[in-house]
Amino acid sequence: MTDAPAFDDHHPPSLELVEDCVHCGFCLPTCPTYSLWGEEMDSPRGRIYLMETGLAGEPMTDTMVQHFDACLGCMACVTACPSGVQYDKLIEATRAQVERRHTRTAVERLLRGTIFALFPYPRRLRLLRGPLRLYQRSGLEKALRRTGILDRTPRLAALESLAPRLGRNVKFPERIAASGPKRAVVGMLLGCVQREFFPEVNAATARVLRAEGCEVVVPKGQGCCGALSVHNGREAEAQRFARAVIDCFDEAGVTFVVVNAAGCGSVMKEYADLLADEPGYAERAKAFASRVRDISEILVELGPVAVRHPLPMVAAYHDACHLAHAQGVRSQPRQLLAGIPGLEVREIADPEICCGSAGIYNVLYPEPARELGDRKAAAVLATGAELLVTANPGCLMQVASSIQRQGGSIAMAHTVEVLDASIRGVSIAGSPHKGV
Amino acid sequence: MDVQGLAQQLREAIGDEKVLTDRAQLRTYECDGLAVYKVMPAIVTLPETAGQVQAVVRACVEAKVPFVARGSGTGLSGGALPHADGVLIVTSKLRSILELDADNERAVLEPGVVNLDVTRAAAPYGYYYAPDPSSQQICSIGGNVAENSGGAHCLKYGFTTNHVTGARLVSPDGAAVQLGGKAPDPPGYDLLGAFVGSEGTLGIATEVTVRLMRAPESVRTLLAAFGSTDDAGAAVSAIIGAGVIPAAIEMMDALAIDAAEAAVRCNYPKGAGAVLIVELDGPASEVEAQFEQVEAHCRTAGAFEIRIAADNAERALFWKGRKSAFAAVGRISPAYIVQDGVIPRTALPEVLRRMAELATEHGVRVANVFHAGDGNLHPLVLFDDAVEGEAERAEELSGAILDLCIEHGGSITGEHGVGMDKAKHMPRMYTDDDLDTMQLLRCAFDPHHLSNPGKIFPTPRLCGEVPGRHTGAHPLQEQGLAEVF
Amino acid sequence: MNDGAVLDDLSKVADDRVRPAGADDSIDGVPPGYVARPSSTDETAELLRVAAHHGLSVVAKGSGTKQDWANPPSRVDLVLDTTAMAGVVEHAAGDLITIVRAGTTMTDLQSALASADQQLALDAPFPSATVGGTVATNSSGPRRVLYGTLRDLLIGITFVRADGVVAKAGGRVVKNVAGYDFGKLLTGSYGTLGVITEVALRCHPLPTTQRVVSIDVPDGEVAADLALGVLRSQVVPSAVEVHQPAAGPVTVIVLIEGVESGLGARADAVRELLGAGAAIGDLPDSFGHYPFGSGDLGLKITTTLTGVGPILSAAQNLGHRHDVPIAVRGSVAGVLYAAMPADSDPVAAARVLAEMRALAATYDGTVVVLTGPVETRRALDVWGPISGLDLMRRLKDQLDPDHRLSPGRFVGGI
Repeated sequence: MTDAPAFDDHHPPSLELVEDCVHCGFCLPTCPTYSLWGEEMDSPRGRIYLMETGLAGEPMTDTMVQHFDACLGCMACVTACPSGVQYDKLIEATRAQVERRHTRTAVERLLRGTIFALFPYPRRLRLLRGPLRLYQRSGLEKALRRTGILDRTPRLAALESLAPRLGRNVKFPERIAASGPKRAVVGMLLGCVQREFFPEVNAATARVLRAEGCEVVVPKGQGCCGALSVHNGREAEAQRFARAVIDCFDEAGVTFVVVNAAGCGSVMKEYADLLADEPGYAERAKAFASRVRDISEILVELGPVAVRHPLPMVAAYHDACHLAHAQGVRSQPRQLLAGIPGLEVREIADPEICCGSAGIYNVLYPEPARELGDRKAAAVLATGAELLVTANPGCLMQVASSIQRQGGSIAMAHTVEVLDASIRGVSIAGSPHKGV
Repeated sequence: MDVQGLAQQLREAIGDEKVLTDRAQLRTYECDGLAVYKVMPAIVTLPETAGQVQAVVRACVEAKVPFVARGSGTGLSGGALPHADGVLIVTSKLRSILELDADNERAVLEPGVVNLDVTRAAAPYGYYYAPDPSSQQICSIGGNVAENSGGAHCLKYGFTTNHVTGARLVSPDGAAVQLGGKAPDPPGYDLLGAFVGSEGTLGIATEVTVRLMRAPESVRTLLAAFGSTDDAGAAVSAIIGAGVIPAAIEMMDALAIDAAEAAVRCNYPKGAGAVLIVELDGPASEVEAQFEQVEAHCRTAGAFEIRIAADNAERALFWKGRKSAFAAVGRISPAYIVQDGVIPRTALPEVLRRMAELATEHGVRVANVFHAGDGNLHPLVLFDDAVEGEAERAEELSGAILDLCIEHGGSITGEHGVGMDKAKHMPRMYTDDDLDTMQLLRCAFDPHHLSNPGKIFPTPRLCGEVPGRHTGAHPLQEQGLAEVF
Repeated sequence: MNDGAVLDDLSKVADDRVRPAGADDSIDGVPPGYVARPSSTDETAELLRVAAHHGLSVVAKGSGTKQDWANPPSRVDLVLDTTAMAGVVEHAAGDLITIVRAGTTMTDLQSALASADQQLALDAPFPSATVGGTVATNSSGPRRVLYGTLRDLLIGITFVRADGVVAKAGGRVVKNVAGYDFGKLLTGSYGTLGVITEVALRCHPLPTTQRVVSIDVPDGEVAADLALGVLRSQVVPSAVEVHQPAAGPVTVIVLIEGVESGLGARADAVRELLGAGAAIGDLPDSFGHYPFGSGDLGLKITTTLTGVGPILSAAQNLGHRHDVPIAVRGSVAGVLYAAMPADSDPVAAARVLAEMRALAATYDGTVVVLTGPVETRRALDVWGPISGLDLMRRLKDQLDPDHRLSPGRFVGGI
């Protein structure tokens, strides 16, 4: 660590964007870390201030990095800011600088290295399925819980508690014909965690698209969209993933690229920024980004044609941060759920505040994540709903784990699973998650 | 000053993680909402209990080190600007609502409780907390007490001082003092009345008892668009002249409307030279009758469009534009100075006209947002600090605007406080004798001049000295505890 | 002290408005040496400078309606009669403010304001009291429920310090946070911090119409319940009073004001809240007046809302137990006045005071002996326990280091 200024010339956080901040503090009440700790340096205003001091020559110290790292990247501050500060761009640029220029502790590096060697690679995740199923179905899980080892190793405990109950795997054909007159040809991103641990969500996505008259293309060999990498400053890695995804879907020749994971969709819509420097990809990335749609967006855009059968239940809808704050998609999922007869949808208190999942945040920072998860769980349970609907696998795992910790129980499903059940005229049991 | 020594003492008193000395962290506390002034504190403390606040103050008193209190850091007069050789005492971790006593219409709050959260907590009982500064979603009760904050609804309901019935504070010599409580009219001097609005110079509140108001039966809000601020001003005079006291009357001029539009898409009527937001509340029958009058007065004054909020959502949208105005101005100008002058309401049309003239003379734009009902102006003097000389002209214009307010018998600050920003303007409003007298109060509370020194008064008074002229450097200047403007 | 020199110096300031004190000039039984009647703030300042020079203790007197309030002064050398400093300086009706000299009577002020259809929304239990005296004793009445008290109505003040320096605070605009709020410090200070010469006040429009709804009920707890029901409703009353005589039914009186078209519905709502027997009528003569007359012992009891009922009950019980008739009258907002006859046994009175004080304290409230026979007051703890007393003493020491302004009248012997 030197006394060199925090940032170098390669895409530092923009001074112009930093100067948009007028220090009004309207972002503080929606920031999860400020709501937990009440400390300026862990608020958007404080983090922007740190960036500004860094741009003016302050060094990138461990402390400074600690506060950048503690940011969940939920972007509730972007929604709240009256001055229009693009904090999302600022934190992404900052994280990339941190990743490149700062040396973390050995333990941190090992943990991050492991996560990034695993999560963006569906095939490697698949290798975990077998052992995880064995762990869950044999008595090993109960035994481990009883030893109390997990209480002393919060990160392992976090991973353990987040792991979903595994169901059967699903195989997708490369092309699925539309049901009835064809209205669009769409590509479908399978994702990584979604693909391996929640394949039924992908299955439901494909079925609903088909039912609504879409020909669905599921390109083989598609990989990770790079969301986790972008959100953690791993720029080169992210760009690699992005180029591969663009190549893959461009080849498939689809009008829209449909995504059912909020985090993935938000990053894919920003591929133009990610690949702005790359000759040969800059233009393609722009075009690609303009074709990306969240599943709820495309369904509302096309307009419903498939008949909905009643689903008489009380549900609560949770806004995933990367859908609501990052993409501004709030009304579409609500509209879709409102179109299901018999389904009552209740709002959750303090919807702007993150559940604490935030990508891999809950693995890296289990304590604050757990507190945030507990608050969200309490708010969810307070609605009295029997089903929690959300649009991100991370949120789903986080809230499930928190609810279970509080001894509560609630069924959980992705928005598209609820639609799928309604269209097929079946009841919805919710995703088979641990203990709920 | 032995920073390390004091920091160690503080750590022992309140815990390691609540005492900050890391430079990066200290820097995030170097300004409040008035970011043009920055001073890095020597130490930042984040106490979690009243006892810890007292321990920090005591340690400062013993070490003869000045201390400054800070809530959410949204103040607009630099009241929470730290002292370079002092301790910043941040109250944001003292954020419990200690008691919500609906039967007695009171709430007991820690100073870090956010203003709006009081109303949220009282709402299920049919009550609310009336003072509503535009920053209420984040500003703290303790900060409100320090500044005697107002807000749009203070026209009818008064300011923080009219809603605080009690406070427990740590006085500047480290003692815990209770002033007032839940019941009205405590006997003795109204020290509580002097404490509210004392901008952190008379100690730090660790508990505040506030009055809750019964939610009104009916609330009706209208938005009226006029061709000019003159017309809108005439409407305001007519409404007040008719004996109607609305809950709020707010005005924004064309430039402010543009900024708000860019920020929050409030969709105010296009082409308006000024908009008025008028809100009435109270018993339904009363409100209905008065609302008709208000509408009629607006039309007579020349409103070309009048919108009446049909429901809470629409009402919130009317207000959204107004409440975001300050921050929104950042979108139409790289920098700005926000003023807080007050004039008698009847002087409004003339003052606005004269301000426009002054703005042209100085070659600087001014956006106007204000509480038209009580004459509290918030001219936003817009400038680009990258352009040569523009910052100086903006500063000059700000001073000229304050002079204009005083000329008309007004005040240099209606709700933002004097802080350090307007200390130099105090002599425009008060004589040396007036300021000397006020400082006798300060001497009673803070003889050692440690509680937020350098704020409010341009020339600090040495306690125990005989009033008179000073020659040479002031002793407090020599000690580095004060500056003379 | 050289009498001749003092009189000379005082006369140089205010010539024929200075005289030696006579038998009728006693302040609460304490005979002064001189009486001066300044006609301006500047004259007041000069007189106080003379007083400082000669070490004279000073008591300001307006209409003299409350000279027998609080403690008698420990000494009085000079009485400053403020009644020559009378008159409205300015009434800016469009701005709803007025600036008035301290020696103006409340009646005169209200007439002046009424000519522009405005009022000072403050009840005057003694209509002939001066504005200065009203501020110094923080007088208030039933309409505090809606309009507040001087805390909420006084926006600016000019006063003269013990050393003769003139100071002002606040201003002529309602919204003003520049500097410390000395207006609040001087309100209720009983003349111990300075001599008030001019105040700026916030005005309100005169209400267009009024309705009065009242009901008689058997006891104080029932009265408090009903009264609180009205206070907590959305009817927005201007006053909610309870009148509990020493014996007999207790009356709840509700005053609502506003536009004619709205009042009918609101009056109906109040009638429903008060229940069977509630009737629309006129304000009783006793409305806004203290239950104690000249010479009676008068107490001011403050409490939270939930304490009103218990305090009314206690007053009845204490009256029976100690054989002293106690009448209570006041606002359900938590400010009640109690009266005991002038010839009440002082020992009984002391017991009533102590027990009532203990009870009020459980409701975060206080009891102050406002007035009474001077010997009774000398024997009682008039002010009771005061929180923040240390700071109050320090303030007094700063403003009047020689303790010459109204010495001994106030809390803690100040």
